[in-house]
Amino acid sequence: MINRTDIQAAVEARLAKRYRAEGRFRMFGILAIMAAISVLILLIGSIASQSIPAFRVNELTLPVTLETARVDPAGDGSEASLRRGAYNSLLQEALRDEFPEIEDRGQLRELFGLYTPLNSARLQNQVLANPGLVGRTIDFTFPISDDADLYLQGLTTTSGEVAPGLMATPSGTSGEVRIFANSNVFSPIVSDIRERLATQAEELEDRAERYETRAANAAGEDARVSLTREAEQARTRAASLRALAEPGSPSVDMSPELPSRLIRMNGGIVHIDRITDSGRTAEGRVLVALESTTPGDDWTIWTLDTPQAERRITDAQIAWAETLRERGRLETGFNTYLFTNADSREPELAGVLGAVIGSALTMLVTMFLAVPIGVATAVYLEEFAPKNRLTGFIEVNINNLAAVPSIVFGLLGLAVFISLFGLPRSAPLVGGMVLALMTLPTVIISSRAALKAVPPSIREAALGVGASRLQTVVHHVLPLAAPGILTGSIIGLAQAMGETAPLLMIGMVAFVADAPSLSVGGLTEPATVMPVQIFLWSDGAERAFEPRTAAAILVLLALMIVFNAVAVFLRRRFERRW
Amino acid sequence: MPINALILLMMLVLISAAFYVGRSRALRASGRGSISLHSLPNYHGYFVALWTGVPALLLMAAMAVFGSSISESVIEMRLNQAAAPLAADLEAQLAEDSLIQSARRTLDASADVNAATQARAAIQSRRTAIADSIADTARESGASGLALAGFEYANLPPERRGLFTNDARALAFNGQPSEITPAIEATASAFRPVDRIVRYGGAVLAILLAMAGLAWSRSRVKAGFRARNRVEAAFMGFLMFCSGIAILTTIGIVASLLFESLRFFEAINWRLDQFLFGTQWSPQTAIRAEQVGQTGAFGAVPLFAGTFMITIIAILVAGPIGLFAAIYLSEYAGKRTRKIVKPVMEILAGIPTVVYGFFALLTVGPAIRAAAQFVGFESAVTQSALSAGLVMGVMIIPFVSSLSDDVINAVPQTLRDGAYAMGATKSETVKQVILPAALPGIVGAFLLAVSRAVGETMIVVMAAGQGANLTANPLESVTTITVQIVMLLTGDQEFDSAKTLSAFALGLVLFIFTLALNVIALRVVQRYREKYD
Repeated sequence: MINRTDIQAAVEARLAKRYRAEGRFRMFGILAIMAAISVLILLIGSIASQSIPAFRVNELTLPVTLETARVDPAGDGSEASLRRGAYNSLLQEALRDEFPEIEDRGQLRELFGLYTPLNSARLQNQVLANPGLVGRTIDFTFPISDDADLYLQGLTTTSGEVAPGLMATPSGTSGEVRIFANSNVFSPIVSDIRERLATQAEELEDRAERYETRAANAAGEDARVSLTREAEQARTRAASLRALAEPGSPSVDMSPELPSRLIRMNGGIVHIDRITDSGRTAEGRVLVALESTTPGDDWTIWTLDTPQAERRITDAQIAWAETLRERGRLETGFNTYLFTNADSREPELAGVLGAVIGSALTMLVTMFLAVPIGVATAVYLEEFAPKNRLTGFIEVNINNLAAVPSIVFGLLGLAVFISLFGLPRSAPLVGGMVLALMTLPTVIISSRAALKAVPPSIREAALGVGASRLQTVVHHVLPLAAPGILTGSIIGLAQAMGETAPLLMIGMVAFVADAPSLSVGGLTEPATVMPVQIFLWSDGAERAFEPRTAAAILVLLALMIVFNAVAVFLRRRFERRW
Repeated sequence: MPINALILLMMLVLISAAFYVGRSRALRASGRGSISLHSLPNYHGYFVALWTGVPALLLMAAMAVFGSSISESVIEMRLNQAAAPLAADLEAQLAEDSLIQSARRTLDASADVNAATQARAAIQSRRTAIADSIADTARESGASGLALAGFEYANLPPERRGLFTNDARALAFNGQPSEITPAIEATASAFRPVDRIVRYGGAVLAILLAMAGLAWSRSRVKAGFRARNRVEAAFMGFLMFCSGIAILTTIGIVASLLFESLRFFEAINWRLDQFLFGTQWSPQTAIRAEQVGQTGAFGAVPLFAGTFMITIIAILVAGPIGLFAAIYLSEYAGKRTRKIVKPVMEILAGIPTVVYGFFALLTVGPAIRAAAQFVGFESAVTQSALSAGLVMGVMIIPFVSSLSDDVINAVPQTLRDGAYAMGATKSETVKQVILPAALPGIVGAFLLAVSRAVGETMIVVMAAGQGANLTANPLESVTTITVQIVMLLTGDQEFDSAKTLSAFALGLVLFIFTLALNVIALRVVQRYREKYD
């Protein structure tokens, strides 16, 4: 006889196990959804956070003297003459006036690296628009270079300032100078440098060791040889670093591979190149002229943690940018260039306007092709087509087209529209046509669904009072199906707006510095569209393109959200259920 | 352009006028009230407007498409005509030339390939020399520029002729010719009047056609005229034409891919086996086409392998997540959760792929590289198969989940109720009843997701790298079919090289593969679906 309680216990134990399994299963479901949603949040969040620097820009405002002789070489004030003016040299001079102490050509080149010469075209346009400016001094505002902008936004390097509070004396106000201190105030720097060199050497030795182990385990002879060579190189470099780090020598050289040290003193900035005299004297060159050689204890050591070799902006440029900011020449504002300019090679002047216009033109073409053709096809297949082989074939065809990879449509466009018909490359017209073919199945399928949803009673009633079949469809069925058709079309167009691959095939990747005109003529001008612009910027060499890419993505996503919101609104507002 | 715009505007005016003409004539024909008309007056108006507009607009469209080739063929004819005496002279001299005769004899006699090639080259160079001397004498004796241009054109190799006409056309219409020679200038100046005649002639013809259509159709309008039936027939014709476009698109895709692929296969001497099974992909060397044996390596296996690896990774991500999400949403979640979560997941499908590419390139790739280096893979790179695959998996999650969701919802409620009645828990019901019942649909959903992943372009272009590595290590960069198509076709290159054409062959492979997957998916769904009704 089996004990009832035993059975009960066994059942309960098993039940508990089953419920645990149940709970686990349920948990997997929740985890799956959480995973999907958290990736979505991560995606949007990371892009949004990357985009922040792109929305701010640091602009220089300098007094520019528009000397008649240089702006208007012919002297007649004509447009042709104004176009030949030497605007860039005016900008260079304006910047030079800020730092008259700079003589060295190399340093001047560095200084002029603070802005892009493309700004002279903007100055020229300003003068062309208002020739009365010639001969006057105007305040010209232009964006500082992308690297300086990133620095000023605090994205290039961290920095710190310490005030030793001890007396020090500079030997001069410009050029190469020495700064003598009464005690060894610079010795912390020396020991810091030695420490860093030692760490670097250690890292190199570690790497050499790893290479050696891998060489010992390497399968092929070639791999062994190359790994051994790598290890040797690392060892040699480590040894040379160790020699530099050796304590005892009274002086130490700064190198671009080490954090930069600058001294602010008497209103000027000195870059430290060498520390001698056991930390009592710093040698270096003046970046911003000192006001006097008066000894004082009101000076600071300014450390830029990222070594110069690891950033695109030099120490001198940083010093000048900081000085310009202190003098009130620099202002941080909202980056309007991003929305009012077309593409540019220089990140600080690059904007999405051209791509937005290109997208608009392309979408217009797509809309005017895909929606009428798609709706007509849907009406024919749903309302008129006899059920025969041909219409069956068309249906299979449409379903298959919906699954064809988008890049294949690009190949079709390249082979047919461009090579065969001879339409222009890179043109919104061709892009729109390709995207229309790609969107067609979406529009057809959603339109058919909308038509199908209209109850047959409507058709029967219309036919019953003597309407022809076409009148029934055009006067009664289509208006009732319109919201559904519209929603499907908008969603299809939104998809097309985010499409990139087919447009790469038809040459819309070209760099287009001028926004196409928003007109019929613009349809055949070279253009680019938002997603392609994003693609182009994403492998831009300058780091400042990274936030701009993210910002462009936000613009694209915003446009798509608007599209989809309109679709949702239409569906909510007009949807009818029978 | 302005003339076309003007004509278009005139056409619009004419068409709307035609509508009112037809309508008012119908009203007049009916006498008082419209009771004796067969069709409503508007239909008469539409009828007349259609006859006015459609033929003329079709003609204009045809002129827009073929106008340039018409003027080109006219130009070619005139060039040939002008150069006829010179060409005859050339032929006569060629026939007499002893060098050419002897070369031709060698060509006829010898079976040796090398000798034949040499003979052909000899004929060619001799021919060029004679042609040059004829052109020189003609120029000295003051032949017209057009004759000289025609002679030069006739002696150009066929593949250069298109460039010649393009240059002439560009020169004639403010374009940018690749070079300017006297011959091109002469052709360009001949181009302008011809083109003007063709354009104006087309416009005038269109207007005349519209007028004729208006007059004829207006005469048809009578009280008993069945205008509505005609208009409806025309409309039906339009509808049928539109549904034909889907077929035309498919034909266009197949034809262009096949045609260009055939040219590619010809360029690689029909070594299809090398294309499909070769393991060396380096199309770059194909630029130097004249070097025999230097036609690049077109072994597509590394591409297929890369595509395969990334697809597998993507499915490994999207499959479980999508399926579990679908199960949870359809079996566990309440109505409200479903209503919120489903659209949020759909957002993943709506995000442009280039955004995923950026995410993979700047967020996922570096993270994976850092993780790999932390674990000890020194050689990990940012652009890896893993990062592209992971992100692509995220992209196709909503694809798997919504398709699976549909399939699971299609399983009849009675099956669930039966299982619950036997005491099964929800998860047991799902695992042992619902999933087996929905299996064909889920398999179909996975196949469609695979086809999506295979054809996806931007993520892999941005995140997977470009090196054609044949590797099984997901931390290395690989390349895919779509990446190579983009690489081969972006940038400036001549359209005819084997390198460019190979992109179409890859496109053909891609097209066939995705099509096959779709067909199989549909078959699986149809064939193995259990009938519950």
